[in-house]
Amino acid sequence: MRMPQFVYSRWFLLGVFLVLAAIPLVTNRYTQFIVNLCFVYAVAGIGLNFLLGFAGQFAFAHAALMGIGAYATALLCYRLGVSFWIALPVSGLLAALIGAIATLPALRMKRVYLALMTLAFAELIQWALIHWKALTFGTDGVSVPAPRLFGYAISGDYAVFYVILVVTYLMVALARRILQSRIGRSFVAVRGSEIVSLCNGISIAETKAIVFTLSAFYAGISGSLFAITLGYLVPDGFGLFHLVVHFSIVVIGGLGSMMGAIVGSVLLTALPEVLRGLQALQEIIYGVLLMVFIVFMPTGVVGLLKKAGILPREVLVRDWQAAYRRFKAGNGKSAGPERSADDGEYD
Amino acid sequence: MDFLTFHLILAGLANGSLYALVALGLVLIYKSQDVVNFAHGEILMCGAFIGYILLEELNLPYAVAFLLAVLAGGVLGALIERLAFRRIAHHPHITLAMVTVGLSFALKGLSRIRFGMDIFTMPPMFAGRVVKVGSLAMSAQSVVIIGIALALTLLLFLFFRFTSMGKQMRATQQNLTGARIVGINTGAVFSITWALAAAVGAGAGVLAAPISLLYPDMGTNYLLKGFAAAVLGGFGSVPGAIVGGYIVGVFEMLFGGYVSTAFQHTSAFCIIILVLFIRPYGLFGEKPVHRV
Repeated sequence: MRMPQFVYSRWFLLGVFLVLAAIPLVTNRYTQFIVNLCFVYAVAGIGLNFLLGFAGQFAFAHAALMGIGAYATALLCYRLGVSFWIALPVSGLLAALIGAIATLPALRMKRVYLALMTLAFAELIQWALIHWKALTFGTDGVSVPAPRLFGYAISGDYAVFYVILVVTYLMVALARRILQSRIGRSFVAVRGSEIVSLCNGISIAETKAIVFTLSAFYAGISGSLFAITLGYLVPDGFGLFHLVVHFSIVVIGGLGSMMGAIVGSVLLTALPEVLRGLQALQEIIYGVLLMVFIVFMPTGVVGLLKKAGILPREVLVRDWQAAYRRFKAGNGKSAGPERSADDGEYD
Repeated sequence: MDFLTFHLILAGLANGSLYALVALGLVLIYKSQDVVNFAHGEILMCGAFIGYILLEELNLPYAVAFLLAVLAGGVLGALIERLAFRRIAHHPHITLAMVTVGLSFALKGLSRIRFGMDIFTMPPMFAGRVVKVGSLAMSAQSVVIIGIALALTLLLFLFFRFTSMGKQMRATQQNLTGARIVGINTGAVFSITWALAAAVGAGAGVLAAPISLLYPDMGTNYLLKGFAAAVLGGFGSVPGAIVGGYIVGVFEMLFGGYVSTAFQHTSAFCIIILVLFIRPYGLFGEKPVHRV
């Protein structure tokens, strides 16, 4: 039995988030904290999936950009007393801006350069977070003031959850909207073949710049949420190891599927908690999982669900059913989107 | 040229030799399989730890330990190719790159199980000895590093130029289908390429260990510097990688000596950025031609 396309509709999405709002009824403080982390990683995962899954670009900067977002929020709130509600978008934009500036020269080059450049960038940011004490407090860490709304401090895992839930909903809705637009389809086209995309009037460098900036923006927002979830930031949270966690979330959840990042973050956020303190085991498990999934199941868990017919395919056209009906009504003569009703599946 | 500059350059050449060897391994694999091996730093780290076990725990003589570590590196490389990469060679680029990332973390975790979070020291080949030329003094280890790096480079050059296998490898790099048609065993070529690259990486690890200390995360720094060297050389050019390695090494030392040691770590990033802005295809690279 195949679930109807309905599950991707706007109203269904909103409904799911309203149901999720009841999560605090069944959690204790610790599990609530894990749930919060899940949502934070889901936002980061959606951002990375734009880049890795939809556009097929390999980059290492995601954890570092999340670090920029987290530190931007922490420092803006702590040092300048800026309201969280301003710091949140600023963090996202700052991560997007820094990410874009750092990688623009690599975007017109062969794909290896983006990977090399972002790996060096990630190490640079990690180094700066530790050594630029005058700004970041180095390894002493920085505490993040709780966000305030109408004079009330939103503190504690339960209250923070609702902030995260609302922001995550907005980010998921935005991602869905972007993916169903011309831009989202151009990501997939660039992944398929740069030359064919070029022949269809898609600017490769521009598309790569858009997708990288977008993914950096998501990383920044997720970092900002990460900051209020933890309440206290130290630089180790954003190194290459955390990048592998992000990679695993996207690959195991499902490359090129928006659901993938969400499923992946639910599956994988709990894992480091189970293996807390066993860094060697974590590294081996994540490393091996990455290899096994990317080789044998590149569409991840969501791909399996789709193949089994439990989840429908994700269509990258807005209101495609209405468009398809119009196309049928016109006896197939109009240039309907029948052929473009392609989905973002990774193959 | 004053004394300090000269010393910085000599130290830079020693480090640069190591970066050149790392870059060489990266470029060899990149040329044959069109993938950047992100696990190369961990292969270097494995080589260094194998050398450490042979030298410190089994008390073998240095030369034997070095050769065995290089050999072990080669076997590791061939195994990785045969077991993992042979069957996914036709997969999309992301798959290959992601497998090397997964591999790098798996290797790091494995070595952490054995060696934990501690930092180990490894004695240099000639402990405490200093080579003097006129008023110039140089640690024996630096001389050994430069010497071995040059010897390896020369050997590889001769290998690619004059042996049948070397020629087959170059043919495979130039045109895979063409090489298959004329009867080259491309599977063997890939295995030997990986073995060579990993052996060179493991050798660099044993040479690097006395300078950089031994710990499971030691590979990342060398990987980054190797990247910088390879990018400088045009990513895909073997002589470029070697020249690039020396330039990165010397630049890093001079930068550390005259500007700031704190910023020495950022030199890899600075070099990659500068090259991409000023001369994107490196010193020896060519602008690629797109084929449909």
